[in-house]
Amino acid sequence: MFVWELSDTSANCDSFWIRRGRLGSDTGTLDQTHRALLPSYSSPLTQSRHEIYSPEGLRTDGRRWNEIRNFDCKINTHPTSADGSSYVEWGHTKVVCTVDGPREPDNRQNTTDRAVISVNVNVASFSTETRIKRQRNDKRLAEMNILIRQLLEEAVLTKLNPRTQIAVNITVIAQDGGLLPACINAACLAMIDAGVPLTDYVSACSSGVYSNNALIDLNTLEEQDVPFLTIGVIGKSDKISMLTLETQLPMASLEPVLATSLSGAHAIQDIMDAAVRKHGKHRLERK
Amino acid sequence: MAILTIQKATPREEEDVEMVYSDADSDAEEQMVMSDDENEDMDDNAQAANVAAGLVTPGKLITEDPIWMRGHGTYSVGNKTFSSTAGVVTKTNKLLSVVPLRGRYQPQIGDHVVGRIVDVGVKRWRVDIGAKQLAVLQLGSVNLPGGILRRKQESDELQMRGFLKEGDLINTEVQSLYQDGSAALHTRSLRYGKLRNGVLITVPSALIVRAKSHVHQLPGGVDTVVGVNGWIWLCMAWANSHLTRENTTSITRLEEEASLTETYSDKNEDIPRSVRENIARYANCFKALAANEVGITEDRVIAAYEASLVYPSAGDLIDKEAKEIIAAKAIAA
Repeated sequence: MFVWELSDTSANCDSFWIRRGRLGSDTGTLDQTHRALLPSYSSPLTQSRHEIYSPEGLRTDGRRWNEIRNFDCKINTHPTSADGSSYVEWGHTKVVCTVDGPREPDNRQNTTDRAVISVNVNVASFSTETRIKRQRNDKRLAEMNILIRQLLEEAVLTKLNPRTQIAVNITVIAQDGGLLPACINAACLAMIDAGVPLTDYVSACSSGVYSNNALIDLNTLEEQDVPFLTIGVIGKSDKISMLTLETQLPMASLEPVLATSLSGAHAIQDIMDAAVRKHGKHRLERK
Repeated sequence: MAILTIQKATPREEEDVEMVYSDADSDAEEQMVMSDDENEDMDDNAQAANVAAGLVTPGKLITEDPIWMRGHGTYSVGNKTFSSTAGVVTKTNKLLSVVPLRGRYQPQIGDHVVGRIVDVGVKRWRVDIGAKQLAVLQLGSVNLPGGILRRKQESDELQMRGFLKEGDLINTEVQSLYQDGSAALHTRSLRYGKLRNGVLITVPSALIVRAKSHVHQLPGGVDTVVGVNGWIWLCMAWANSHLTRENTTSITRLEEEASLTETYSDKNEDIPRSVRENIARYANCFKALAANEVGITEDRVIAAYEASLVYPSAGDLIDKEAKEIIAAKAIAA
């Protein structure tokens, strides 16, 4: 468990207090916040079935605004079937990624002085609650492929492997929000496993805004109700290399949302680094 | 669950500085002369301690000292050297490089490798050796029937597919490297050529320990070619094949070369059942070593084979526990 100190939470705290005032609750004791986790609890103020952000500052799954879901990752999961492989489990979102390459390109005609990265995201039809019917050319998936490819192209030292191809295959086994960031994080781990030279870790995280509260790492329920964006960063810089926003977002909330996703992406790099080191240690012991 | 703060991340000052990622070769001119005393002084400071820590991951600062030359697996921003792969920092004199934990085979001149023909082109074959790019086998670098030093004629060009066709496995050596890192191969020795009477196993190339010889005669009437690229050929012992028997009777060199027609043969000989079983057993031994990430040497393979004899059938070796036991015995050897 990673715990950081809270430094700048003024925006969130303000709204928190306003909402609490309306509810007329007295103290935010530990007991009271814990009550929110009980299934029978429902706020008299919310009309919708799910309370996105309770007056106590808890989300549908019991997280606070700045808590990401459990991020569990493994590297080198398919040692014989691919050059690099990884498995990422982020909350209930599960993603497997394999990297093939650098290898001889499929067609030698469009070879360049650098490695060509190709990304293919494959969503299993059983990955959602209701089975998805197979669509031929899914525009959303095609866009995801491009986003991931462009982000990886920025991080990979492609010039070191001229006239080669790096094929990234991502299979989504289960999805519960944060699909794109999970795919990006998995792709980064698989790239490292394949020994592809990278400038730094690539990571991504999403966050949304709910009545002036920035919420980090949304699950499916929250993604349906809340405007959110996803960012991708390379290393622990605050240079945003990828940003996607599919909904409308109030201009004022852009900054806090960016800041939360950025810190989320950085935190994920630490978790991924720990996984890579654990695997590396294991390998070196066997040598 | 992780609890985060919103705080400004510290950016690396790379924005204005041009990033330089280097190959070992390109930096060869930057060599610096340094006395041993200075070297020891540097070991004391923090950066050197960082170097000694060993395992690094992409983006990790290796050193800020400009004295080091940057080798494979590193890149530099200004004076700082960062790692670009997950691996172990190695120092060779003044050269800093990161040896990746995993990765494709990188051909080096003189490597004994096993490859598969994927394409027959004009005057050359293209061979998959498990590297980043396909290797090239020129028509001029193979032995043709009728004499080693025979001039290649147009008729040879036309019947290239008769010698080696798509899918054939060959035993070969890296002759030279092209600019982009791809390899040129040759089979200009009687040791090299087409492979038959056996089975191919592939393991990660990082597991192959380089040795004087990569051809081993193993107990049980099995020979193996352990390619440096991680491709391993297991076959009936050459001493038992009629080809070699013929060769031993041949007196003159010419006769030996005439038998080269045989070396391009596609037909497997009759392999006794016991040898087949031994080949299967060795194949599973190699797989057991690879599954447990044990470096592959001749001694370890033989030890693994002997440890495997407690299992009556070679098929029993695919069990995970059996693999672990065999690998443990092989390490102990």
